[in-house]
Amino acid sequence: MRDLVKITGIAIHGYGGYVPRYRIKSEEIARVWGKGEGELPVKEKTVNNLDEDTITMAIEAAKYAIARAEIDPKKIGAVNIGSESHPYAVKPSGTIVAEALGTSPSIFSADFEFACKAGSEAMQMIIGLVGSGMIEYGIAIGSDTAQGRPGDALEYTAAAGAAAFVIGKTGNNVAAEFEASKSYVTDMPDFWRRDYERYPVHTSRFTGEPAYFHHTLSAINALMEEDGYKLSDFDYFIFHQPNAKFPYVAAKMLGIPIQKVEPGMLSHIIGNTYSACSLLGLVKVLDEAKPGQRILITSYGSGAGSDSFVLKVCEGIIEKRQKAPTLARLLQRATYIDYARYLRHRDKIRV
Amino acid sequence: MVFRFRIPSHWRAKPFRYRLIVYRCEDCGMVHQYPAIICRKCRSTRLRHTQLPQTAKLLSFTVVRQAPVGFEELAPYIVGVVEFEDGTRLVTQLTDCEPEELKIGMEVEAVVRKITQDGPSGLIIYGFKFRPRIV
Repeated sequence: MRDLVKITGIAIHGYGGYVPRYRIKSEEIARVWGKGEGELPVKEKTVNNLDEDTITMAIEAAKYAIARAEIDPKKIGAVNIGSESHPYAVKPSGTIVAEALGTSPSIFSADFEFACKAGSEAMQMIIGLVGSGMIEYGIAIGSDTAQGRPGDALEYTAAAGAAAFVIGKTGNNVAAEFEASKSYVTDMPDFWRRDYERYPVHTSRFTGEPAYFHHTLSAINALMEEDGYKLSDFDYFIFHQPNAKFPYVAAKMLGIPIQKVEPGMLSHIIGNTYSACSLLGLVKVLDEAKPGQRILITSYGSGAGSDSFVLKVCEGIIEKRQKAPTLARLLQRATYIDYARYLRHRDKIRV
Repeated sequence: MVFRFRIPSHWRAKPFRYRLIVYRCEDCGMVHQYPAIICRKCRSTRLRHTQLPQTAKLLSFTVVRQAPVGFEELAPYIVGVVEFEDGTRLVTQLTDCEPEELKIGMEVEAVVRKITQDGPSGLIIYGFKFRPRIV
């Protein structure tokens, strides 16, 4: 099947996803801005509570990941958080999360930023740290309370959520093993937020073909060519989900059956959780995958780049799944709010 | 800059606010939130730091509508008394719920949330709150 495995002996020991309780329907946002309901990018999206931010959601997801890993937090050697909504411009999120989790102070911690792929970037770094033997376990987290300018197309999708993974050397009781990884980046002016600006700007249709699709497909195709995988080797394909349509278009371009994409889809019901987006798709798939199945997950972050990972699900997944609430359980908490309350939750009312 | 909150005090309170680490007197059982040398109740010097459980039982609650300074943005919010398995009781905010969803005796779990912030440029204070347990 393949000649070269790029990552050997590194596995996910525990995983956790978190989405806030609150939701706003796209039709409610469309009602306020006088837009038709015909072409709304998602059905509804998550909204953080008044007391939630990137740090608190990262802690929630990481606690579930540690519960599934069943390890002493003192064994964790690195806490990496990817986000584009770190609460402080200068003061790391990672140190607060690490103390809340009860890790040792003698750890490596960094905040990553790469638009929506900051979470998978954090994961790449943890894999490297574990692989080099510098740490025994590390936590990679993607967490965001994404910003969307009122009335802008992004307001329908910019959502809140977090996903965390405890990564270490492989063993008898791990959730999934990494097999390979490939990244692809270019200088792409599709989406950005300048310093001191509250909201990002984007280049509308330009964010599709040369940005999302080019980088996503380039990372996947490079993985196929260099590592000798075939698309038929995979049971699940997880994509970054800026809306509910792009992943299916990418799948069609690659010739992937829809049935292998659907299990990892979340954006139609929770929106685009940015740094957590594709990682939450992985959490959802790990909640249902069987040992022996193979997963291909590909993130995308504007600016732009994609990280692609190949994972093989292991026997430990069955037992670990029960150690923390599943994503489906968290999604059941959905409580719908109107646009006025949404503005309050998102700190868009300034007096 | 003038800080509304005492930053050293928050810094010292982190173990309690983030992870419910307390100092329990081994003679009388009194629980101290902050590192203590002598028990405030019995003057014993035998204090041991321990972590309170992450789940508790809801004993009572009320809704705060006239919030004190620093908490105006959250009002109305719920404050309750929770009791741990060992009998230790704690006054805490309750989050991710409406008052009508709460029942006396229900199980609640600790989460870390934003407690308050010192304006747009000051420190964000994080700490425990409780919510109905997700199982």
